[in-house]
Amino acid sequence: MAVEIVMPRVDMDMASGRMGRWHAAEGAHVVRGATLFEIETDKAAMEVDAPASGVLKFIAASEGDVLPVGACIGWIVPEGEDFVPPMTHAPASVAAASGAAPCADPKTNDAAYAEGALGLRATPAARRIARNRGVRLSGVKGSGPNGRIQKRDVEGRAASVDAVTSVDADASVDAVHSPSLDGRPFGRPMDRIGRAPQGVRKDARLSTGDGARRNAVVDREWLQRGEGAPIVFLHGFGADLNGWRPVHRLLPETRPALAIDLPGHGLSPLGEDASFEALVEAARRALIGEGVGAAHLVGHSLGGAVAVALSRGASVKALSLMLIAPAGLGEETDTAFFEGFLQADTEAALTPWLHMLVTDPAALGSALARTTLRQRRERPLVAEQRRLAKAILRGGRQAIDVRDLLAAPQAPTKIVVGIEDRITPAHHADGLSGLIALHRFAHVGHMPHLEARREVARLIEELVRSGEE
Amino acid sequence: MSNRELSYAEAIREALAIALERDDSVFLMGEDIGVYGGAFQVTGDLIERFGEERVMDTPISELGGAGVAVGAALTGMRPVYEFQFSDFSMLAMEQIVNQAAKLRYMLGGAVSVPVVFRMPTGSGLGGAAQHSQSIEAWYAHVPGLKVVEPSTPEDVKGMLLAAIKDPDPVIVLEHKLLYKMKGVTPEGYYETPLDRAVVRREGRDLTIVATAIMVHRALEAAQILASEDIDAEVIDLRSLRPIDKAAIVGSVKRTARLLAVYEGVKTLGIGAEIAAIVAESEAFDYLDAPIVRLGGVEAPIPYSPVLEKAAVPQVEDIVAAARRLAQGEV
Repeated sequence: MAVEIVMPRVDMDMASGRMGRWHAAEGAHVVRGATLFEIETDKAAMEVDAPASGVLKFIAASEGDVLPVGACIGWIVPEGEDFVPPMTHAPASVAAASGAAPCADPKTNDAAYAEGALGLRATPAARRIARNRGVRLSGVKGSGPNGRIQKRDVEGRAASVDAVTSVDADASVDAVHSPSLDGRPFGRPMDRIGRAPQGVRKDARLSTGDGARRNAVVDREWLQRGEGAPIVFLHGFGADLNGWRPVHRLLPETRPALAIDLPGHGLSPLGEDASFEALVEAARRALIGEGVGAAHLVGHSLGGAVAVALSRGASVKALSLMLIAPAGLGEETDTAFFEGFLQADTEAALTPWLHMLVTDPAALGSALARTTLRQRRERPLVAEQRRLAKAILRGGRQAIDVRDLLAAPQAPTKIVVGIEDRITPAHHADGLSGLIALHRFAHVGHMPHLEARREVARLIEELVRSGEE
Repeated sequence: MSNRELSYAEAIREALAIALERDDSVFLMGEDIGVYGGAFQVTGDLIERFGEERVMDTPISELGGAGVAVGAALTGMRPVYEFQFSDFSMLAMEQIVNQAAKLRYMLGGAVSVPVVFRMPTGSGLGGAAQHSQSIEAWYAHVPGLKVVEPSTPEDVKGMLLAAIKDPDPVIVLEHKLLYKMKGVTPEGYYETPLDRAVVRREGRDLTIVATAIMVHRALEAAQILASEDIDAEVIDLRSLRPIDKAAIVGSVKRTARLLAVYEGVKTLGIGAEIAAIVAESEAFDYLDAPIVRLGGVEAPIPYSPVLEKAAVPQVEDIVAAARRLAQGEV
């Protein structure tokens, strides 16, 4: 088992210590009891022994750093063990790439990066970003009043530290879509992805005057234009807006419908903030950008949780809420699926994972694995979805919880589950408000909108009508 | 979609007329709301249309009038009591705070008190110290009351109709400077939720949470700020109890800066609650500057028009505060 190395307390009144020299380098084999590093207190330098034998990894402090007692400064990992330090805050890929130590206790983690206890002036936002990107605030010059470190100071710093791993939504967007001045839609890489432009693919930007340049893109498409409040489709983890086409085709043509690519999916890049809230916010912005103030929300899996959160916000009125195998109603999920799905890089490897989603593989269609892999070659979907997975899963369980938000549904609400769902078990939908209609389909898995698409289309239409009354 | 415009006062009158037509249990009470048409001419000709049994002039006793209203509500009526000035509602505190707000609780849910108290509030018309106060925070502090402060004709109509339908006591605060303000107002019956804030302007650089007349000043300020490339989001709080925490928190998480603008005395006012909501929420970690409050000065509202203006936030005050906040000078 991996052992955490912490800043020890060598004096009774010691609150923090200054790192001295390491006696071993990252990746070196260390032996329990041998000198591992030095610390300097007010009184003396002290040598500290290795608490275990193994490989020294994830070093998080270097000579001269001042760290609170108990702060994690590295790990000793047994030879051959594939160990990833437990993390609660930072996306691991970003933190690891920039040399930050992912440590077990968020409190010590905060302390190590934000140095709150040490009299350093920084705004909460600056501290959060420093934490997430592994930037040491002690090395940052503050531009605010009295030298206060602000967000922009850390962001500038972070850009140089992790220019490769930090995805700046705005910048990447501007690289792909060059604004057009004559009002025509912005150029988009549609043909590269090979997506047939069905319906009306809308320019993904918000049109809020001169602020438009700075708004992150949320890709979306009107599957159907029309009068009245639209149905808004929110897909699940790893999917994109195309997944709604089969069920959408079964809905009346008079019904306007808008489908959104959530950040990290389809054509929507994932910004710096890989969080559930960021997905909700992106969906909200997309709707506002389309002038949608009231909508019938239909969400699948993760998109279901997004729909619930969206329905509770102020800017979009949910006329009805259709949750298909929604996430966020219980803790269990199959994390092996997420790992396997993201790791698979051939059709043969991906197919079995996709089959976990359904009871009858025929429901998925034959091209899904190929399409998914092609999209992953065109866009950094795997990296973005990994970051997202970190935010929505914790310790092998779902980290998002929208149950409370469903306690008193304001609009007509239906939940559709497949009894054989292996991703979000059907019983998660039990015990909710009696005002919510629960439809349980036998011989159906995690994809009722594909596996029982006629029935689900009918339920959507019924719900939309009741939401209009 | 109709673009019919009404003034704020006309929208209130229309809401009252619709409620009187729809529901026999609805009736209006208040000093001079009948023959005279109301201190601010809000009820107007309603007495001619609905008669003096349903549009009732009451004696000059706020405590007495409010007491009758609460009693009538207990028997299943839906009275709407108008105070001439919110300042005078202090005379009826006993009925509002000790009776209306508490009776459902004290009788174990056996009764409800579906009364609405309308009250003109705020400064700007030279009413001086006893006719110009903004005491919304007093009422917002009382569990058992709902307290709303609509800022547009559309909202005041919808919120008043929702308040009349609500089974519990609702305080509807009407800023006097809004009465003549015009705005698109839907026809017919509709309700506007009593618990939702609304984003009046989207922005990225800071969040301005404002109430009543301050919403309009904040929007005007946002226009000026836009010319300086500062993009302010303006949230109209609308409801003070319950208060829409999610709207505030969500916005601050995006903009990282919060400015609360309200007319009531700054200390222990609505702005303190807005600031505390953010400080206690997950938006704390997104703040990139201290929270700023702009409220009324710590003094009675002066009679002198110059001083009266100086006593509460004006457009230029909001612009200056927002600029300093957005530019990292706070």
